[in-house]
Amino acid sequence: MSESVVHVSELTKVFKVPEREPGLRAAAKALIRRQTREVHAVEAISFDIEPGEVVGFLGPNGAGKTTTLKMLAGLLYPTSGEARVLGHVPSRREKDYLRRMTMVMGNRNQLQWDIPALDSFELNRAIYRLRRDDYLAMRDELVELLDVGDLVRKPVRNLSLGERMKVEIVGSLLHRPMVLFLDEPTIGLDVTMQKRIRTFVAEYNERHGATVLLTSHYMADVEALCKRVIVIHHGQILFDGALSHLANEFAAYKTIGVLLEDGNVELDGYGEVISRDGDRAILRIPKAETSRVAARLLSEHQVLDLTIEEPPIEDVIEMVFAQSR
Amino acid sequence: MAGGDQAVLGGGRVNTLRVGWLFFKVGVMNELQYRVNFFVQLFQSLIQVGTGLVMLSLVYSHTTELNGWKESELLSLLGVQILLGGFIHTFIQPNMELLMQDVQQGTLDYALTKPEDAQILISVRQVRIWQVVEVISGLVLLIVGLTGVQSSIGAVDALAFTFALGIGGVLVYCFWLILTIGAFWVVRMEHVLELFEGIYQTGRWPVGVYPGWLRYSVTFLVPVAFAVTVPAEALTSRLHWPTLVLSVAFAAALFAFTRWFWRFGLRHYSGASA
Repeated sequence: MSESVVHVSELTKVFKVPEREPGLRAAAKALIRRQTREVHAVEAISFDIEPGEVVGFLGPNGAGKTTTLKMLAGLLYPTSGEARVLGHVPSRREKDYLRRMTMVMGNRNQLQWDIPALDSFELNRAIYRLRRDDYLAMRDELVELLDVGDLVRKPVRNLSLGERMKVEIVGSLLHRPMVLFLDEPTIGLDVTMQKRIRTFVAEYNERHGATVLLTSHYMADVEALCKRVIVIHHGQILFDGALSHLANEFAAYKTIGVLLEDGNVELDGYGEVISRDGDRAILRIPKAETSRVAARLLSEHQVLDLTIEEPPIEDVIEMVFAQSR
Repeated sequence: MAGGDQAVLGGGRVNTLRVGWLFFKVGVMNELQYRVNFFVQLFQSLIQVGTGLVMLSLVYSHTTELNGWKESELLSLLGVQILLGGFIHTFIQPNMELLMQDVQQGTLDYALTKPEDAQILISVRQVRIWQVVEVISGLVLLIVGLTGVQSSIGAVDALAFTFALGIGGVLVYCFWLILTIGAFWVVRMEHVLELFEGIYQTGRWPVGVYPGWLRYSVTFLVPVAFAVTVPAEALTSRLHWPTLVLSVAFAAALFAFTRWFWRFGLRHYSGASA
């Protein structure tokens, strides 16, 4: 028996979606006989997550990230395959399991709209059966970590999007969950707020040893938080491993940045010039040739500075998806 | 305080009640922010009671009895119908509308990730406290009607009435929930709920006045008869005990079915994708 917190094996979810041609006639026909099409949202994926890991779940819209997360949170019944979280089968929705996990969705809110968040917290306290002192300690810790002081006393509807998200997170973690499913927790937030939430997730993970599975479209979130990423596309896993290996495996090129003494040097012969600003230039070079090109640049010109870098993670991800097509 | 918390940690039922009570409090807090609703509701109730009274007096200007019911007795029946309607609008309908909206928008997720019986959670999340005006106006009508009824009401009658009204509440709750669970498949269900509102209006008249097919459908299909006529029968000394036993059995069976159907429906919840 493995010790993993999350164990997923051959997990599959197939949705039946209604489908019809456009137009009135087709709409009338669909009234009588509904045509459905099967959509394989998640197809036989397998992975394990160890205690305390923060794993980034990457993929374009419709890749199956949210569906997987929802199956793990017990919201959706898998069509086939196995999922276990903290030793529980999520779809059974056992209270012992639900009490130890949480799901945060960046585009949804659970707090009562018209009243201060503090009142909604009390509701959660009752639902999770938290002892008063535990509850107060955790609430104050979260309020401090997220710096939401007075916000919890204002009606939720009067808060800005970012403030609301922070308060939502407080509400979702009052019961000290050991597993966090975060679905786009920073969506729509400004850069400062994104950073704040990122730092918070890292701190929570460190303090409480919680396991985190996170989806985000912001690579900055993933780079800051996740050592490991799982890339999913068309419901299948394309990559599962260290973020640093992703570029190794999928990036076909590296970038060379040079600072030249003579700003007029012609560089087209070395590789694709992505940007050029007088004496500064960035070149895109096929991976196998980077060291040779760098050596040539150094020997043929007066180079003041030279750096070799992996391409930005966004580009790598794009390459992963491009290769899977 | 710690002792109280221990009790909470121990007893599941007690905690469920506590959760229900807290939701009620939060619902009231929410509603108190919209005081204008109170006046809207007051106005609506006045119109409702007024039209009911006009109709009654119209009917009884031609006859002294309708299917064995005298005017004051029918006034009590109208009272029961409005009272129960008020209860539905206060507690049942807002929750069912919220559930339907949640299924449509996929926001049911949060209710389902909570370690509490999901059916209970979705049944207590909202309360429209101003609708209590309807309950009160129903109660007033009921009392006015009863003072006109010749025979006095015994304790047994009153008890049977309260009990039958409770059963009626359970029946209507089950019926609404069954309809709403349909949203797991159909997604848009508003029209069906409007249909209920229409059918509920049949409860203004004793179920006996309707032709057989309609009588059966408003008894078993849409349990308006059980919900309204049976309690009113109890108050006007018309209730046969077998009817009461039947309604209890029916309520228990419907409740069990609703519970099963809820779990079945949940399996089909696909959530609106993010």
